[in-house]
Amino acid sequence: MEEREVTFIVKRFYRNEWREDRYEFKAVRGMTVLDGLFHIRDNIDPSLSFRASCRMGICGSCGMVINGKAMLACSTQIFDLGTDVVRIEPLRNMEALKDLISDFDDFFEKHRRVKPYLIRKEEKSIEEGEYIQTPDELRKYRQYSLCIKCGLCYDACSITGSNKEYLGPAALASACRFIMDSRDQGEDERIPLVSDHTGCWRCHFMAECSEVCPKEVDPADAIQKLKRKALIYSLKRLFRR
Amino acid sequence: MLVSVKDSISSWFRIEGRGISGYAFIIHRLTGIVLTAYIFLHLAFLTSLTEGESAYTSLIEKTVNIRFLPFDILLIGVTIYHSLNGLRLVIAEFFVTRYHRELFVIFIIVGVVIWIFTSYLLYRFVVV
Ligand code: SF4
Ligand code: SF4
Ligand code: FES
Repeated sequence: MEEREVTFIVKRFYRNEWREDRYEFKAVRGMTVLDGLFHIRDNIDPSLSFRASCRMGICGSCGMVINGKAMLACSTQIFDLGTDVVRIEPLRNMEALKDLISDFDDFFEKHRRVKPYLIRKEEKSIEEGEYIQTPDELRKYRQYSLCIKCGLCYDACSITGSNKEYLGPAALASACRFIMDSRDQGEDERIPLVSDHTGCWRCHFMAECSEVCPKEVDPADAIQKLKRKALIYSLKRLFRR
Repeated sequence: MLVSVKDSISSWFRIEGRGISGYAFIIHRLTGIVLTAYIFLHLAFLTSLTEGESAYTSLIEKTVNIRFLPFDILLIGVTIYHSLNGLRLVIAEFFVTRYHRELFVIFIIVGVVIWIFTSYLLYRFVVV
């Protein structure tokens, strides 16, 4: 099996201080960046901290910046990076907690703020059965429902980096996911939440969020849909008065 | 929460790991800053009118000449980029979101053609 000597340069944060550590080891073909980090922790430096769980691109916990780009460590093979020197740092636009672990509190708080659940004006009783949806109605929002909350888009967005109040691509994509759902009746509650100065109009359509998204959610597309929805919503309100 | 100017600027101009839309954004910001600075310069020029017509004319004579032509051509390029990319963003945001990359390529080609043509007109105005 193909083997290569690789160097991981890890930007680490501990007790309010940043430092960089270099680790050299033999990587084999098929090894992911996450495998490499586990190898370092098990064989070289047990103090290295990072988050991971599923190891298959499902849980969204292993997001980090690999050679300048936000990626999932478990879905990135070392040999695919095209270099033997791999620089790793925690996700930016979030506070660092320890080593490669970033603080997601703000990210999830913003997600909660957009009311990421179905809102019904009147609920059906269980006897009346489920809310039926056609395949076409499902297609309208399905893509946006694939988000695994990995925070890669949050790292990539420059506006999130310069404006801490901005809801950010993931929360806005989530809002779009519910607004586009035919079962949802929460437009009056949610659209004002996502169309103020912290919402969709703050997005400058840089589209880097969609470039890095590992699930092809395309949050940039979702946000532009929100802009159109918000515009139509405010026009309607204008004429309703 | 406030973000320091340094952090804002560094997040706008981060180059590593960016795609075509990221570069388009970075150039848009840069050209925006150049145009803002130019507006102030332009206003300062106009203010010289308050000191009489001759002050203004002598300033114009100094700047409308062959030595300043490269800067003028650059300024036209900056203006064309900023306005066309702004237009592209509006079109992409409201109509053809999925094709923003293709739009970028089209607008760059159109922009370069306009830039060459206007630069030629300016050259004739200043030199010929
Ligand atoms: S499209 Fe909007 S949310 Fe996505 S990176 Fe750009 S500014 Fe951020
Ligand atoms: S939109 Fe994509 S990049 Fe952003 S949190 Fe969801 S899965 Fe991750
Ligand atoms: S470990 Fe779950 S997404 Fe990487």
